[in-house]
Amino acid sequence: MCQPKASAFRIGISWMLLALLAAACAPAATPTPGPSPTPVVMERVVTPTPTPKGPVTITFWHAYNPEETKVFNEQVLPAFHQKFPNIRIEAQQVPYDEFRRKLLTSIAGGTAPDVIRSDIIWVPELAAMGALEALDMIMPDFNAYKEKVFPGPLSTNLWQGHYYGLPLDTNTRLLMWNKEMYAAAGIAEPPKTIDEFLRVCERIKALGRDKYCFADGGTYGWAVLPWIWSFGGDLTDPEMKTASGYVNGPDTVAAYEFLKGMLDKGYLHPGILGGGVDTAGGFARDEIANLLEGPWMPAIFAAQYPQKQIQWALMPAGKGGSVSVVGGEDIVLFKQSRNKEAALEFIRFMLSPEAQLMMARAGQVPVRTDVIEQAVQAQPYFALFFEQLKTARARLPHPNWPKIEDLLTSTGQAILRGEKGAKEALDELAPKIDALLKQQ
Amino acid sequence: MWNQGSLRAQRLRAAYLFMLPGMTFFLIFYLYPLIQALQISLYEWSIMPGQDSRFVGAANYLRALRDPIFWISMRNTVLYTAVTVPGQMILAMLVALALHAIPRWRVLFRTLYYLPVITSWVVAALLFKFLFHSQSGLINYLLVDVLHLSDHYIPWLQNPETALVAIMTLGIWKGIGWSMVIFLAALQDIPLELYEAAALDGAGRWGQFRYITLPMMRPTVIFVLVMLVIGGFNVFLPVYLMTGGAPMHRTETLLTYMYNEAFNFLDFGYGAALSYMLAILIFLLSFIQIKLLRRPMEL
Repeated sequence: MCQPKASAFRIGISWMLLALLAAACAPAATPTPGPSPTPVVMERVVTPTPTPKGPVTITFWHAYNPEETKVFNEQVLPAFHQKFPNIRIEAQQVPYDEFRRKLLTSIAGGTAPDVIRSDIIWVPELAAMGALEALDMIMPDFNAYKEKVFPGPLSTNLWQGHYYGLPLDTNTRLLMWNKEMYAAAGIAEPPKTIDEFLRVCERIKALGRDKYCFADGGTYGWAVLPWIWSFGGDLTDPEMKTASGYVNGPDTVAAYEFLKGMLDKGYLHPGILGGGVDTAGGFARDEIANLLEGPWMPAIFAAQYPQKQIQWALMPAGKGGSVSVVGGEDIVLFKQSRNKEAALEFIRFMLSPEAQLMMARAGQVPVRTDVIEQAVQAQPYFALFFEQLKTARARLPHPNWPKIEDLLTSTGQAILRGEKGAKEALDELAPKIDALLKQQ
Repeated sequence: MWNQGSLRAQRLRAAYLFMLPGMTFFLIFYLYPLIQALQISLYEWSIMPGQDSRFVGAANYLRALRDPIFWISMRNTVLYTAVTVPGQMILAMLVALALHAIPRWRVLFRTLYYLPVITSWVVAALLFKFLFHSQSGLINYLLVDVLHLSDHYIPWLQNPETALVAIMTLGIWKGIGWSMVIFLAALQDIPLELYEAAALDGAGRWGQFRYITLPMMRPTVIFVLVMLVIGGFNVFLPVYLMTGGAPMHRTETLLTYMYNEAFNFLDFGYGAALSYMLAILIFLLSFIQIKLLRRPMEL
């Protein structure tokens, strides 16, 4: 049964290992530039052929959703190609869940793309690995862009004193509430606090056994952090030195106990335990009353559920205030790129007001301070996102975040499944995160 | 004398020439990565081309022995093999006997039973994911709404135990055809005279199966057993595609855990060590099976 596939897989692994080896033996990485500000790096990149004469191809990977991809392919790319006829952008849409793994494999094999639109949480890891060019070193006009973008999203590119990319778009999660379900339950206004949120849930549940107040896809950081922070809890101290006393502190424990209570009372859709939950579909079918969602949702609903209206509200506030999680993407350049000048042109274009406003139409919140007014005029709902972004926080910008998040996800599952009490589970988690924070 | 020697040399040269492409392929794509993987397993391996890796000796191997998820994936791998191998073999044998007995349409049914084997794992796994979906899956519909065997929908893929049931069902369903074809070929090789003689001596159907069919098929059954056990320990795709090891790494098997450590956490040293431990385990198991089960006159 498994033989043909299993051996095919083994061959795959062998290929991979061979590619690793070939890459490791290749003389390509001779000078090992590293992140230190040596003039050698400057020389190496800036001097050769300023603008490419012949046509060059730049590979660009992104995980834009179908609506965003449409705008990118039909508006942004043609505009760039018209402006730079000698540079061809070969854009590849890579599903988000596959992205990081596919990228790491290609880095190891020496076939990394030139430029990617990277989730902000991957940048520290990629920079620490030595895969990225420090843009503040090789981009002569870096400061001109640095000054034009929001400092928060910009900071996600900072790793050990250098900027390894520029922000491309930003977002956060707002409470997306279902007006029809609220009306059926006799509620007029969205909740402002977590206490009010619980009261909303009580009345939504009264609508029926298969009606849920809230749903989320799992217990990963993106899902649980808004609750943890709004409860006043945290994962680590501000310097990311220790998790003990924070991830198992009373407020973080309270946040997990809140989620567990929501699940037990049937307010929270059991899909958070895994197995797949269609949150947007459930919302559109009036089965789910609230979601925490991002600015891409209106475009998706316009295409898939044109009948259904979306309402937005700030994340319900707790002891820690109304604190949501910052998302968004950075645009980064790989050291392995062979056409860095052309790649930089593309990066500049993606940060131009023109491209930023084009992508805003698909729900991508721009990062340039000077286009905000125009973007909000076209997309009025952006205003509330900017409001939420004032207090929103980023997931741990630490190279070990993927491992920390894996532990966090499993711990959340153990708590919600009632295998362990919140305090007990988080007490076990804290020293494990401490150890991961110490590495690097 | 002179002529003979030259002929021998020529033949030898031809033989080596014929072996060359195969050997080259084997050396480059099997032996070399194998040795390289052994080396990687002794290092804290850096995936960046040109960066230094740190030699850590047996640390990666020792880490596995202390890693609770390693033992969970070991348990799941053994469980998967222990359930799916007999499951496939018994069902395949029944199908093969049935197909052998029917006078017509044998080729059609053989093809139909073989279809799952050539179906892509991705397609089959997606299909099973839908079948076992908590809210809208066919299995829950049958159990709850049609047969009334349960009063609530079972969240198959949410709980580790039920998720493993779904994964093993897929493994068995997909594998029956492969064993069936081999069993059927072996059945057709058994001389009919043996059955005639047995019938004359008064042997019933079960007696014929027990004392003629099974002994005659023994080498085939052992071959299938050894191959399926190797395949069972190498289980990857059904788990990777259906649960990805979730929840809490409780449905992880050795290969999915290795893949996760190597390709998700970039811990290639640990991943390579896990692969080597699996390889040693499979080698020992296959060796023991062959030693114990094969009789001297069989190959």
